Amino acid sequence: MPKVVSIHSYRGGTGKSNFTANLATTVALQGYRVGVVDTDLPSPGIHNLFSLELEATDKTLNNYLWGDTPIEETAYDVSANVGVENNGKLYLVPSSFQADDIARILKNGYDVKLMNDGFRRLVKELQLDYLFIDTHPGLSKETFLSIAISHVLILILRPDKQDYQGTAVTIDVARQLKVRKMLLVINKVYKTLNRDALKQKVEETYNEKVAGVFPLSEDLVQLASEGVFCVKYPEHPVSEEFHKVAQQIQEV
Amino acid sequence: MSNLGDMQSLASSISAMTSPFRNYLNDLYEKYKSFNDGAIADYIPELTLAKPEWFGICVVTTDGQMFEVGECDQLFTIQSISKAFVFGLALEDHGREYVNSKVGVEPTGEAFNSIVLDEVTNRPYNPMVNAGAIATTDLIKGNNSTERLKRLLEMFKRYTGRDHEINVPVFLSEKSTGNRNRAMSYLMLNFGMVGDKIEDTLDIYFQQCSIMVNARDLAMMSATLANGGVNPVTQERALDERYVQDVISVMLTCGMYDGSGEWLYRIGIPAKSGVGGGITAVAPGKLGVGTFSPLLDAKGNSLRGIKVCEDLSRDFGLHLFNVAKPDRDLAAWIDGSEGDSW
Repeated sequence: MPKVVSIHSYRGGTGKSNFTANLATTVALQGYRVGVVDTDLPSPGIHNLFSLELEATDKTLNNYLWGDTPIEETAYDVSANVGVENNGKLYLVPSSFQADDIARILKNGYDVKLMNDGFRRLVKELQLDYLFIDTHPGLSKETFLSIAISHVLILILRPDKQDYQGTAVTIDVARQLKVRKMLLVINKVYKTLNRDALKQKVEETYNEKVAGVFPLSEDLVQLASEGVFCVKYPEHPVSEEFHKVAQQIQEV
Repeated sequence: MSNLGDMQSLASSISAMTSPFRNYLNDLYEKYKSFNDGAIADYIPELTLAKPEWFGICVVTTDGQMFEVGECDQLFTIQSISKAFVFGLALEDHGREYVNSKVGVEPTGEAFNSIVLDEVTNRPYNPMVNAGAIATTDLIKGNNSTERLKRLLEMFKRYTGRDHEINVPVFLSEKSTGNRNRAMSYLMLNFGMVGDKIEDTLDIYFQQCSIMVNARDLAMMSATLANGGVNPVTQERALDERYVQDVISVMLTCGMYDGSGEWLYRIGIPAKSGVGGGITAVAPGKLGVGTFSPLLDAKGNSLRGIKVCEDLSRDFGLHLFNVAKPDRDLAAWIDGSEGDSW
Protein backbone atom coordinates (compact mmCIF):
# COMPACT_ATOMS: atom_id res chain seq x y z
CA MET A 1 0.00 0.00 0.00
CA PRO A 2 1.28 3.49 -0.82
CA LYS A 3 2.75 5.48 2.05
CA VAL A 4 2.53 9.21 2.59
CA VAL A 5 5.42 10.77 4.47
CA SER A 6 5.34 14.41 5.58
CA ILE A 7 8.52 16.19 6.51
CA HIS A 8 8.01 19.12 8.78
CA SER A 9 9.77 21.43 11.19
CA TYR A 10 8.39 24.09 13.45
CA ARG A 11 10.99 26.64 12.41
CA GLY A 12 12.73 27.37 9.13
CA GLY A 13 16.34 26.57 8.36
CA THR A 14 16.31 23.08 9.81
CA GLY A 15 17.35 21.56 6.49
CA LYS A 16 13.92 20.20 5.67
CA SER A 17 14.14 20.38 1.88
CA ASN A 18 17.63 18.91 1.81
CA PHE A 19 16.53 16.12 4.10
CA THR A 20 13.42 15.44 1.98
CA ALA A 21 15.40 15.36 -1.25
CA ASN A 22 17.95 12.95 0.16
CA LEU A 23 15.44 10.65 1.81
CA ALA A 24 13.19 10.52 -1.28
CA THR A 25 16.17 9.82 -3.51
CA THR A 26 17.45 7.11 -1.17
CA VAL A 27 14.07 5.36 -1.37
CA ALA A 28 13.80 5.79 -5.16
CA LEU A 29 17.30 4.35 -5.62
CA GLN A 30 16.04 1.19 -3.92
CA GLY A 31 13.66 0.71 -6.86
CA TYR A 32 10.48 2.38 -5.56
CA ARG A 33 8.21 4.81 -7.35
CA VAL A 34 8.49 8.01 -5.37
CA GLY A 35 6.79 11.39 -5.57
CA VAL A 36 7.86 14.59 -3.85
CA VAL A 37 5.47 17.53 -3.48
CA ASP A 38 6.77 20.94 -2.53
CA THR A 39 3.88 22.37 -0.51
CA ASP A 40 6.06 25.22 0.71
CA LEU A 41 4.05 27.63 -1.45
CA PRO A 42 5.34 30.85 0.16
CA SER A 43 9.00 29.85 -0.11
CA PRO A 44 9.57 26.96 -2.53
CA GLY A 45 13.06 25.63 -3.10
CA ILE A 46 13.39 21.88 -3.36
CA HIS A 47 13.36 21.96 -7.19
CA ASN A 48 16.95 23.30 -7.10
CA LEU A 49 18.20 20.15 -5.39
CA PHE A 50 16.71 17.99 -8.11
CA SER A 51 18.20 20.25 -10.82
CA LEU A 52 14.75 21.06 -12.14
CA GLU A 53 14.86 24.35 -13.99
CA LEU A 54 11.60 26.03 -13.05
CA GLU A 55 11.93 28.34 -16.03
CA ALA A 56 11.42 25.26 -18.17
CA THR A 57 8.32 24.12 -16.29
CA ASP A 58 5.05 25.71 -17.26
CA LYS A 59 2.90 23.96 -14.66
CA THR A 60 3.32 23.88 -10.90
CA LEU A 61 1.33 22.90 -7.83
CA ASN A 62 -0.11 26.43 -7.93
CA ASN A 63 -1.83 25.71 -11.26
CA TYR A 64 -3.44 22.62 -9.79
CA LEU A 65 -4.68 24.55 -6.74
CA TRP A 66 -6.19 27.19 -9.01
CA GLY A 67 -8.07 24.51 -10.90
CA ASP A 68 -6.15 25.05 -14.15
CA THR A 69 -4.75 21.57 -14.52
CA PRO A 70 -4.90 18.04 -13.10
CA ILE A 71 -2.19 17.46 -10.52
CA GLU A 72 -0.45 14.68 -12.44
CA GLU A 73 0.39 17.19 -15.16
CA THR A 74 2.38 19.24 -12.65
CA ALA A 75 4.66 16.29 -11.83
CA TYR A 76 8.09 16.18 -13.45
CA ASP A 77 10.16 13.04 -13.81
CA VAL A 78 13.51 13.95 -12.27
CA SER A 79 14.79 10.36 -12.02
CA ALA A 80 17.58 10.95 -14.53
CA ASN A 81 18.73 14.11 -12.73
CA VAL A 82 19.59 12.11 -9.63
CA GLY A 83 20.65 8.85 -11.24
CA VAL A 84 17.54 6.83 -10.41
CA GLU A 85 17.35 3.99 -12.92
CA ASN A 86 15.58 0.69 -13.59
CA ASN A 87 12.30 0.27 -11.71
CA GLY A 88 12.74 3.28 -9.49
CA LYS A 89 11.15 6.60 -10.36
CA LEU A 90 11.35 10.02 -8.81
CA TYR A 91 8.74 12.66 -9.60
CA LEU A 92 8.67 16.21 -8.32
CA VAL A 93 5.65 18.50 -8.08
CA PRO A 94 7.23 21.94 -7.66
CA SER A 95 5.61 25.14 -6.38
CA SER A 96 5.90 28.27 -8.43
CA PHE A 97 8.64 30.67 -7.48
CA GLN A 98 7.17 33.53 -9.53
CA ALA A 99 6.47 36.49 -7.24
CA ASP A 100 3.03 36.98 -8.81
CA ASP A 101 2.05 33.38 -8.23
CA ILE A 102 3.20 33.43 -4.61
CA ALA A 103 1.35 36.70 -4.07
CA ARG A 104 -1.81 35.19 -5.53
CA ILE A 105 -1.65 32.26 -3.13
CA LEU A 106 -1.01 34.55 -0.16
CA LYS A 107 -3.75 36.96 -1.17
CA ASN A 108 -6.53 34.59 -2.15
CA GLY A 109 -5.55 31.43 -0.31
CA TYR A 110 -6.86 28.18 -1.74
CA ASP A 111 -9.13 25.32 -0.78
CA VAL A 112 -6.97 23.13 1.48
CA LYS A 113 -9.18 20.13 0.65
CA LEU A 114 -7.67 20.23 -2.83
CA MET A 115 -4.30 19.22 -1.35
CA ASN A 116 -5.82 16.05 0.05
CA ASP A 117 -7.64 15.20 -3.19
CA GLY A 118 -4.61 16.07 -5.32
CA PHE A 119 -2.22 13.92 -3.30
CA ARG A 120 -4.52 10.93 -3.59
CA ARG A 121 -4.89 11.42 -7.31
CA LEU A 122 -1.16 11.79 -7.75
CA VAL A 123 -0.48 8.55 -5.90
CA LYS A 124 -3.02 6.74 -8.09
CA GLU A 125 -2.10 8.25 -11.45
CA LEU A 126 1.66 7.83 -11.02
CA GLN A 127 1.27 4.53 -9.14
CA LEU A 128 3.51 5.76 -6.37
CA ASP A 129 4.86 3.62 -3.57
CA TYR A 130 5.85 6.68 -1.55
CA LEU A 131 4.73 10.26 -1.49
CA PHE A 132 6.96 12.74 0.36
CA ILE A 133 5.49 16.08 1.31
CA ASP A 134 7.92 18.92 1.92
CA THR A 135 6.02 21.44 4.04
CA HIS A 136 6.22 25.10 4.93
CA PRO A 137 7.66 25.55 8.44
CA GLY A 138 5.38 26.42 11.33
CA LEU A 139 1.78 25.55 11.87
CA SER A 140 -0.87 26.33 9.28
CA LYS A 141 -3.95 24.69 7.82
CA GLU A 142 -1.87 22.94 5.16
CA THR A 143 0.54 21.69 7.82
CA PHE A 144 -2.37 20.28 9.78
CA LEU A 145 -3.69 18.64 6.65
CA SER A 146 -0.38 17.05 5.69
CA ILE A 147 0.05 15.80 9.26
CA ALA A 148 -3.45 14.33 9.24
CA ILE A 149 -3.03 12.43 5.97
CA SER A 150 0.45 11.11 6.64
CA HIS A 151 1.26 7.53 7.42
CA VAL A 152 4.53 8.83 8.78
CA LEU A 153 5.29 12.31 10.06
CA ILE A 154 8.96 13.22 10.27
CA LEU A 155 9.73 16.21 12.49
CA ILE A 156 13.14 17.78 12.07
CA LEU A 157 14.68 19.74 14.90
CA ARG A 158 18.03 21.25 15.72
CA PRO A 159 19.47 20.89 19.19
CA ASP A 160 18.51 24.35 20.43
CA LYS A 161 15.91 25.70 22.79
CA GLN A 162 13.63 27.34 20.22
CA ASP A 163 13.41 24.16 18.18
CA TYR A 164 12.75 22.12 21.34
CA GLN A 165 9.79 24.29 22.30
CA GLY A 166 8.37 24.49 18.80
CA THR A 167 8.67 20.75 18.35
CA ALA A 168 6.75 20.19 21.57
CA VAL A 169 3.89 22.29 20.20
CA THR A 170 3.96 20.46 16.87
CA ILE A 171 3.94 17.05 18.55
CA ASP A 172 0.97 18.13 20.62
CA VAL A 173 -0.90 19.14 17.47
CA ALA A 174 0.10 15.95 15.67
CA ARG A 175 -1.27 13.85 18.52
CA GLN A 176 -4.55 15.77 18.46
CA LEU A 177 -4.73 15.05 14.74
CA LYS A 178 -4.22 11.37 15.58
CA VAL A 179 -1.08 11.05 13.48
CA ARG A 180 -0.36 7.41 12.75
CA LYS A 181 3.40 7.36 13.19
CA MET A 182 5.82 10.07 14.23
CA LEU A 183 9.60 10.03 13.85
CA LEU A 184 12.01 12.70 14.99
CA VAL A 185 15.18 13.66 13.18
CA ILE A 186 17.87 15.81 14.78
CA ASN A 187 19.81 17.84 12.26
CA LYS A 188 22.81 20.16 12.40
CA VAL A 189 24.34 18.52 15.44
CA TYR A 190 27.78 19.82 16.47
CA LYS A 191 30.47 17.21 16.28
CA THR A 192 31.39 17.91 19.90
CA LEU A 193 27.99 16.73 21.13
CA ASN A 194 27.50 13.14 22.22
CA ARG A 195 25.03 11.88 19.61
CA ASP A 196 23.78 8.90 21.56
CA ALA A 197 23.16 10.96 24.68
CA LEU A 198 21.38 13.61 22.60
CA LYS A 199 19.21 11.02 20.93
CA GLN A 200 18.26 9.51 24.27
CA LYS A 201 17.48 12.88 25.77
CA VAL A 202 15.22 13.90 22.86
CA GLU A 203 13.42 10.56 22.92
CA GLU A 204 12.81 10.91 26.64
CA THR A 205 11.64 14.51 26.31
CA TYR A 206 9.01 13.82 23.68
CA ASN A 207 8.38 10.13 24.17
CA GLU A 208 8.82 9.64 20.42
CA LYS A 209 11.47 7.77 18.46
CA VAL A 210 14.49 9.53 16.95
CA ALA A 211 15.02 8.04 13.49
CA GLY A 212 18.29 9.74 12.66
CA VAL A 213 20.92 12.20 13.86
CA PHE A 214 22.71 14.31 11.27
CA PRO A 215 25.85 16.37 11.80
CA LEU A 216 26.51 20.02 11.14
CA SER A 217 29.59 20.57 9.05
CA GLU A 218 30.66 23.19 6.57
CA ASP A 219 31.74 20.55 4.09
CA LEU A 220 28.31 19.05 4.17
CA VAL A 221 26.54 22.34 3.65
CA GLN A 222 28.73 23.11 0.68
CA LEU A 223 28.37 19.69 -0.87
CA ALA A 224 24.64 19.56 -0.24
CA SER A 225 23.89 22.79 -2.06
CA GLU A 226 25.19 21.23 -5.28
CA GLY A 227 22.50 18.58 -5.49
CA VAL A 228 21.40 15.48 -3.70
CA PHE A 229 24.19 14.58 -1.31
CA CYS A 230 23.56 10.87 -0.99
CA VAL A 231 23.80 10.42 -4.76
CA LYS A 232 27.22 12.03 -4.91
CA TYR A 233 28.65 10.47 -1.78
CA PRO A 234 26.85 7.16 -1.33
CA GLU A 235 29.47 5.78 1.06
CA HIS A 236 29.48 8.81 3.36
CA PRO A 237 28.21 8.20 6.95
CA VAL A 238 25.49 10.79 6.31
CA SER A 239 24.20 8.76 3.37
CA GLU A 240 24.17 5.69 5.61
CA GLU A 241 22.11 7.61 8.14
CA PHE A 242 19.55 8.31 5.38
CA HIS A 243 19.43 4.58 4.68
CA LYS A 244 18.58 3.99 8.33
CA VAL A 245 15.76 6.52 8.24
CA ALA A 246 14.46 5.05 4.97
CA GLN A 247 14.39 1.61 6.54
CA GLN A 248 12.36 2.84 9.48
CA ILE A 249 9.80 4.35 7.13
CA GLN A 250 9.54 1.12 5.23
CA GLU A 251 8.95 -0.79 8.45
CA VAL A 252 5.91 1.33 9.37
CA MET B 1 -10.15 27.61 27.25
CA SER B 2 -11.05 29.16 23.92
CA ASN B 3 -7.67 28.13 22.52
CA LEU B 4 -8.32 24.54 23.32
CA GLY B 5 -11.74 24.82 21.69
CA ASP B 6 -10.26 26.38 18.56
CA MET B 7 -7.63 23.68 18.32
CA GLN B 8 -10.24 20.97 18.67
CA SER B 9 -12.49 22.58 16.11
CA LEU B 10 -9.65 23.01 13.62
CA ALA B 11 -8.47 19.46 14.22
CA SER B 12 -12.00 18.22 13.65
CA SER B 13 -12.41 20.15 10.39
CA ILE B 14 -9.05 18.83 9.17
CA SER B 15 -10.05 15.29 10.15
CA ALA B 16 -13.26 15.71 8.14
CA MET B 17 -11.21 16.81 5.12
CA THR B 18 -8.89 13.84 5.28
CA SER B 19 -11.14 11.07 6.60
CA PRO B 20 -11.61 7.94 4.51
CA PHE B 21 -15.31 8.80 4.30
CA ARG B 22 -14.59 12.09 2.57
CA ASN B 23 -12.12 10.32 0.28
CA TYR B 24 -14.93 7.90 -0.53
CA LEU B 25 -17.19 10.85 -1.42
CA ASN B 26 -14.41 12.34 -3.51
CA ASP B 27 -14.15 9.07 -5.42
CA LEU B 28 -17.92 9.18 -6.02
CA TYR B 29 -17.52 12.73 -7.29
CA GLU B 30 -14.77 11.66 -9.70
CA LYS B 31 -16.77 8.61 -10.75
CA TYR B 32 -19.92 10.53 -11.68
CA LYS B 33 -18.44 13.86 -12.76
CA SER B 34 -18.19 12.65 -16.34
CA PHE B 35 -21.70 11.18 -16.25
CA ASN B 36 -23.48 13.61 -18.56
CA ASP B 37 -26.90 12.02 -19.14
CA GLY B 38 -30.04 13.99 -18.45
CA ALA B 39 -31.09 17.54 -19.15
CA ILE B 40 -31.36 20.85 -17.36
CA ALA B 41 -34.93 21.90 -16.52
CA ASP B 42 -36.17 24.36 -19.13
CA TYR B 43 -39.80 25.03 -18.28
CA ILE B 44 -38.71 28.50 -17.25
CA PRO B 45 -35.79 30.25 -18.96
CA GLU B 46 -34.06 31.18 -15.71
CA LEU B 47 -33.35 27.54 -14.87
CA THR B 48 -31.49 26.97 -18.15
CA LEU B 49 -28.71 29.24 -16.89
CA ALA B 50 -27.42 26.33 -14.77
CA LYS B 51 -24.20 24.71 -15.96
CA PRO B 52 -24.29 20.98 -16.66
CA GLU B 53 -20.89 20.40 -15.02
CA TRP B 54 -22.01 21.74 -11.61
CA PHE B 55 -21.82 18.91 -9.11
CA GLY B 56 -21.58 18.97 -5.34
CA ILE B 57 -21.96 16.34 -2.62
CA CYS B 58 -22.25 17.13 1.07
CA VAL B 59 -22.90 14.82 4.01
CA VAL B 60 -23.57 16.02 7.55
CA THR B 61 -23.74 13.51 10.38
CA THR B 62 -26.10 13.79 13.32
CA ASP B 63 -23.12 14.70 15.50
CA GLY B 64 -22.43 17.67 13.23
CA GLN B 65 -19.44 16.49 11.20
CA MET B 66 -19.49 17.81 7.66
CA PHE B 67 -17.96 16.23 4.56
CA GLU B 68 -18.09 18.00 1.26
CA VAL B 69 -16.74 17.59 -2.25
CA GLY B 70 -17.26 19.55 -5.44
CA GLU B 71 -19.38 22.65 -5.79
CA CYS B 72 -21.01 22.85 -2.38
CA ASP B 73 -21.12 26.67 -2.41
CA GLN B 74 -22.97 26.98 -5.71
CA LEU B 75 -26.44 28.39 -5.11
CA PHE B 76 -29.53 27.18 -6.92
CA THR B 77 -33.28 27.33 -6.32
CA ILE B 78 -34.67 24.84 -3.85
CA GLN B 79 -37.84 24.20 -5.90
CA SER B 80 -39.89 21.20 -4.73
CA ILE B 81 -37.52 20.35 -1.89
CA SER B 82 -39.18 23.21 -0.02
CA LYS B 83 -42.46 21.29 -0.01
CA ALA B 84 -41.37 18.74 2.57
CA PHE B 85 -40.18 21.38 5.01
CA VAL B 86 -43.18 23.67 4.58
CA PHE B 87 -45.33 20.61 5.32
CA GLY B 88 -43.50 20.38 8.66
CA LEU B 89 -44.28 24.02 9.45
CA ALA B 90 -47.95 23.53 8.54
CA LEU B 91 -48.07 20.61 10.99
CA GLU B 92 -46.60 22.81 13.71
CA ASP B 93 -49.16 25.52 12.91
CA HIS B 94 -52.24 23.31 12.89
CA GLY B 95 -51.50 19.81 14.12
CA ARG B 96 -51.75 16.55 12.27
CA GLU B 97 -55.50 16.12 12.13
CA TYR B 98 -56.31 19.47 10.55
CA VAL B 99 -53.46 19.33 8.05
CA ASN B 100 -54.47 15.82 7.03
CA SER B 101 -58.01 17.06 6.43
CA LYS B 102 -56.66 19.43 3.79
CA VAL B 103 -53.90 17.32 2.23
CA GLY B 104 -53.60 13.55 1.97
CA VAL B 105 -50.45 11.47 2.31
CA GLU B 106 -51.08 8.99 -0.50
CA PRO B 107 -48.54 8.66 -3.32
CA THR B 108 -50.17 9.27 -6.69
CA GLY B 109 -47.89 7.66 -9.20
CA GLU B 110 -48.76 10.73 -11.25
CA ALA B 111 -46.40 13.48 -12.31
CA PHE B 112 -45.78 16.35 -9.89
CA ASN B 113 -47.92 18.81 -11.83
CA SER B 114 -50.92 16.56 -12.38
CA ILE B 115 -54.35 18.05 -11.75
CA VAL B 116 -56.01 15.37 -9.65
CA LEU B 117 -57.81 15.53 -6.36
CA ASP B 118 -59.20 12.65 -4.33
CA GLU B 119 -62.73 12.15 -5.64
CA VAL B 120 -64.18 11.32 -2.23
CA THR B 121 -62.43 13.84 0.03
CA ASN B 122 -61.49 16.46 -2.61
CA ARG B 123 -58.04 16.64 -1.03
CA PRO B 124 -54.89 16.79 -3.10
CA TYR B 125 -53.18 13.43 -2.77
CA ASN B 126 -50.06 14.48 -0.87
CA PRO B 127 -47.96 17.55 0.06
CA MET B 128 -45.30 16.76 -2.55
CA VAL B 129 -47.41 17.18 -5.70
CA ASN B 130 -47.93 20.81 -6.66
CA ALA B 131 -51.60 20.87 -5.67
CA GLY B 132 -50.83 19.46 -2.24
CA ALA B 133 -47.89 21.79 -1.78
CA ILE B 134 -50.02 24.84 -2.58
CA ALA B 135 -52.67 23.64 -0.13
CA THR B 136 -49.91 23.19 2.45
CA THR B 137 -48.46 26.66 1.87
CA ASP B 138 -52.00 27.99 2.22
CA LEU B 139 -51.96 26.68 5.80
CA ILE B 140 -48.91 28.69 6.89
CA LYS B 141 -49.98 31.16 9.56
CA GLY B 142 -49.30 34.89 9.56
CA ASN B 143 -51.20 38.17 9.53
CA ASN B 144 -50.23 38.95 5.97
CA SER B 145 -48.21 37.46 3.15
CA THR B 146 -45.01 39.22 4.22
CA GLU B 147 -45.27 37.71 7.67
CA ARG B 148 -46.05 34.27 6.26
CA LEU B 149 -43.07 34.44 3.90
CA LYS B 150 -40.81 35.61 6.72
CA ARG B 151 -41.92 32.68 8.83
CA LEU B 152 -40.95 30.35 6.00
CA LEU B 153 -37.54 31.95 5.61
CA GLU B 154 -36.95 31.81 9.37
CA MET B 155 -37.83 28.14 9.33
CA PHE B 156 -35.28 27.42 6.59
CA LYS B 157 -32.72 29.37 8.58
CA ARG B 158 -33.30 27.11 11.58
CA TYR B 159 -32.60 24.09 9.37
CA THR B 160 -29.52 25.43 7.61
CA GLY B 161 -28.09 27.87 10.15
CA ARG B 162 -27.91 30.77 7.71
CA ASP B 163 -30.06 33.41 6.03
CA HIS B 164 -31.64 32.67 2.67
CA GLU B 165 -32.54 34.87 -0.22
CA ILE B 166 -35.11 34.49 -2.93
CA ASN B 167 -34.08 34.45 -6.56
CA VAL B 168 -36.39 37.16 -7.88
CA PRO B 169 -36.04 36.41 -11.61
CA VAL B 170 -36.92 32.76 -10.96
CA PHE B 171 -39.85 33.79 -8.76
CA LEU B 172 -41.19 36.16 -11.43
CA SER B 173 -40.77 33.54 -14.15
CA GLU B 174 -42.58 30.95 -12.07
CA LYS B 175 -45.34 33.43 -11.34
CA SER B 176 -45.80 34.49 -14.95
CA THR B 177 -45.82 30.94 -16.30
CA GLY B 178 -47.69 29.38 -13.39
CA ASN B 179 -51.15 29.14 -14.91
CA ARG B 180 -51.37 25.43 -14.37
CA ASN B 181 -50.73 25.92 -10.66
CA ARG B 182 -53.21 28.78 -10.69
CA ALA B 183 -55.85 26.53 -12.27
CA MET B 184 -55.24 23.86 -9.67
CA SER B 185 -55.61 26.40 -6.90
CA TYR B 186 -58.96 27.57 -8.16
CA LEU B 187 -60.11 23.99 -8.48
CA MET B 188 -59.15 23.48 -4.83
CA LEU B 189 -60.87 26.73 -3.89
CA ASN B 190 -63.99 25.42 -5.59
CA PHE B 191 -63.90 22.43 -3.22
CA GLY B 192 -63.11 24.62 -0.21
CA MET B 193 -59.68 23.04 0.31
CA VAL B 194 -57.82 26.35 0.28
CA GLY B 195 -58.61 29.87 1.47
CA ASP B 196 -59.69 32.56 -0.94
CA LYS B 197 -56.43 34.52 -0.92
CA ILE B 198 -55.24 32.46 -3.85
CA GLU B 199 -52.86 34.97 -5.39
CA ASP B 200 -51.21 35.63 -2.02
CA THR B 201 -50.70 31.93 -1.40
CA LEU B 202 -49.42 31.36 -4.93
CA ASP B 203 -46.93 34.21 -4.51
CA ILE B 204 -45.62 32.63 -1.32
CA TYR B 205 -45.53 29.24 -3.00
CA PHE B 206 -43.55 30.55 -5.99
CA GLN B 207 -41.24 32.40 -3.62
CA GLN B 208 -40.67 29.37 -1.43
CA CYS B 209 -39.66 27.43 -4.56
CA SER B 210 -37.23 30.23 -5.50
CA ILE B 211 -35.26 30.19 -2.25
CA MET B 212 -31.54 29.92 -2.93
CA VAL B 213 -29.70 27.02 -1.32
CA ASN B 214 -26.53 25.02 -1.91
CA ALA B 215 -25.66 21.35 -1.43
CA ARG B 216 -24.38 22.07 2.07
CA ASP B 217 -27.75 23.60 3.05
CA LEU B 218 -29.56 20.53 1.76
CA ALA B 219 -27.29 18.26 3.79
CA MET B 220 -27.86 20.37 6.90
CA MET B 221 -31.62 20.23 6.36
CA SER B 222 -31.75 16.47 6.07
CA ALA B 223 -29.21 16.05 8.90
CA THR B 224 -31.54 18.15 11.05
CA LEU B 225 -34.40 15.78 10.29
CA ALA B 226 -32.10 12.80 10.87
CA ASN B 227 -31.20 14.36 14.22
CA GLY B 228 -34.81 14.53 15.42
CA GLY B 229 -35.48 18.08 14.21
CA VAL B 230 -32.47 19.73 15.85
CA ASN B 231 -29.75 21.25 13.67
CA PRO B 232 -26.67 19.18 14.61
CA VAL B 233 -24.30 22.13 14.26
CA THR B 234 -26.19 25.08 15.76
CA GLN B 235 -28.23 22.85 18.10
CA GLU B 236 -31.29 24.93 17.28
CA ARG B 237 -34.61 23.13 16.94
CA ALA B 238 -36.07 23.48 13.45
CA LEU B 239 -39.08 21.18 13.75
CA ASP B 240 -41.19 19.86 16.61
CA GLU B 241 -39.94 16.37 17.42
CA ARG B 242 -43.45 14.92 16.98
CA TYR B 243 -43.63 15.88 13.32
CA VAL B 244 -40.22 14.70 12.16
CA GLN B 245 -41.67 11.31 11.32
CA ASP B 246 -44.48 12.93 9.30
CA VAL B 247 -42.05 14.83 7.10
CA ILE B 248 -39.74 11.86 6.61
CA SER B 249 -42.69 9.56 5.84
CA VAL B 250 -44.00 11.68 2.98
CA MET B 251 -40.48 12.09 1.66
CA LEU B 252 -40.19 8.33 1.60
CA THR B 253 -43.50 7.68 -0.17
CA CYS B 254 -43.79 10.75 -2.40
CA GLY B 255 -40.47 12.61 -2.32
CA MET B 256 -39.05 11.58 -5.67
CA TYR B 257 -42.11 12.45 -7.75
CA ASP B 258 -43.46 9.45 -9.67
CA GLY B 259 -40.10 7.71 -9.21
CA SER B 260 -40.71 7.28 -5.48
CA GLY B 261 -41.54 3.58 -5.53
CA GLU B 262 -38.42 2.62 -7.37
CA TRP B 263 -36.38 4.96 -5.18
CA LEU B 264 -37.67 3.29 -2.03
CA TYR B 265 -36.97 -0.14 -3.44
CA ARG B 266 -33.50 0.56 -4.75
CA ILE B 267 -32.16 3.22 -2.43
CA GLY B 268 -34.46 3.34 0.57
CA ILE B 269 -33.28 6.66 1.98
CA PRO B 270 -36.19 9.10 2.39
CA ALA B 271 -35.43 11.96 0.05
CA LYS B 272 -36.84 14.98 -1.72
CA SER B 273 -35.69 16.30 -5.04
CA GLY B 274 -36.18 19.59 -6.85
CA VAL B 275 -35.93 20.53 -10.52
CA GLY B 276 -33.18 23.01 -9.62
CA GLY B 277 -30.97 19.89 -9.34
CA GLY B 278 -30.95 19.36 -5.60
CA ILE B 279 -31.69 16.23 -3.58
CA THR B 280 -31.88 16.10 0.19
CA ALA B 281 -31.85 12.61 1.72
CA VAL B 282 -32.34 11.54 5.34
CA ALA B 283 -30.77 8.50 6.99
CA PRO B 284 -32.57 8.79 10.36
CA GLY B 285 -30.28 8.84 13.36
CA LYS B 286 -27.22 8.81 11.11
CA LEU B 287 -26.80 11.55 8.58
CA GLY B 288 -28.19 13.87 5.97
CA VAL B 289 -27.08 13.99 2.34
CA GLY B 290 -27.31 17.00 0.06
CA THR B 291 -26.45 16.69 -3.61
CA PHE B 292 -26.55 19.18 -6.43
CA SER B 293 -26.29 18.54 -10.15
CA PRO B 294 -28.79 20.16 -12.52
CA LEU B 295 -28.91 17.32 -15.07
CA LEU B 296 -32.33 15.71 -14.53
CA ASP B 297 -34.01 12.50 -15.60
CA ALA B 298 -37.44 12.52 -17.27
CA LYS B 299 -39.13 12.54 -13.87
CA GLY B 300 -37.29 15.65 -12.72
CA ASN B 301 -34.76 14.01 -10.40
CA SER B 302 -31.05 14.85 -10.50
CA LEU B 303 -29.29 11.93 -12.18
CA ARG B 304 -25.89 12.32 -10.53
CA GLY B 305 -27.70 12.80 -7.22
CA ILE B 306 -29.52 9.51 -7.68
CA LYS B 307 -26.24 7.74 -8.45
CA VAL B 308 -24.56 9.18 -5.35
CA CYS B 309 -27.44 8.18 -3.07
CA GLU B 310 -27.56 4.73 -4.63
CA ASP B 311 -23.86 4.12 -3.97
CA LEU B 312 -24.01 5.55 -0.44
CA SER B 313 -27.03 3.40 0.38
CA ARG B 314 -25.46 0.22 -0.93
CA ASP B 315 -21.93 0.71 0.40
CA PHE B 316 -22.88 1.85 3.90
CA GLY B 317 -26.16 -0.05 4.29
CA LEU B 318 -28.26 3.11 4.58
CA HIS B 319 -31.44 1.57 3.11
CA LEU B 320 -34.15 1.96 5.77
CA PHE B 321 -34.97 -1.73 5.69
CA ASN B 322 -31.46 -3.06 5.35
CA VAL B 323 -30.64 -5.73 7.91
CA ALA B 324 -27.54 -7.18 6.25
CA LYS B 325 -24.07 -6.15 7.31
CA PRO B 326 -22.93 -3.44 4.89
CA ASP B 327 -19.64 -3.55 2.98
CA ARG B 328 -18.39 -0.54 4.87
CA ASP B 329 -18.91 0.52 8.46
CA LEU B 330 -19.97 4.17 8.45
CA ALA B 331 -18.58 5.09 11.87
CA ALA B 332 -15.23 3.43 11.15
CA TRP B 333 -14.90 5.21 7.80
CA ILE B 334 -15.67 8.51 9.43
CA ASP B 335 -13.23 8.16 12.33
CA GLY B 336 -10.57 6.67 10.07
CA SER B 337 -10.22 3.28 11.76
CA GLU B 338 -11.23 1.68 8.44
CA GLY B 339 -10.97 2.56 4.79
CA ASP B 340 -7.47 3.99 4.37
CA SER B 341 -7.87 4.27 0.63
CA TRP B 342 -4.43 5.47 -0.40
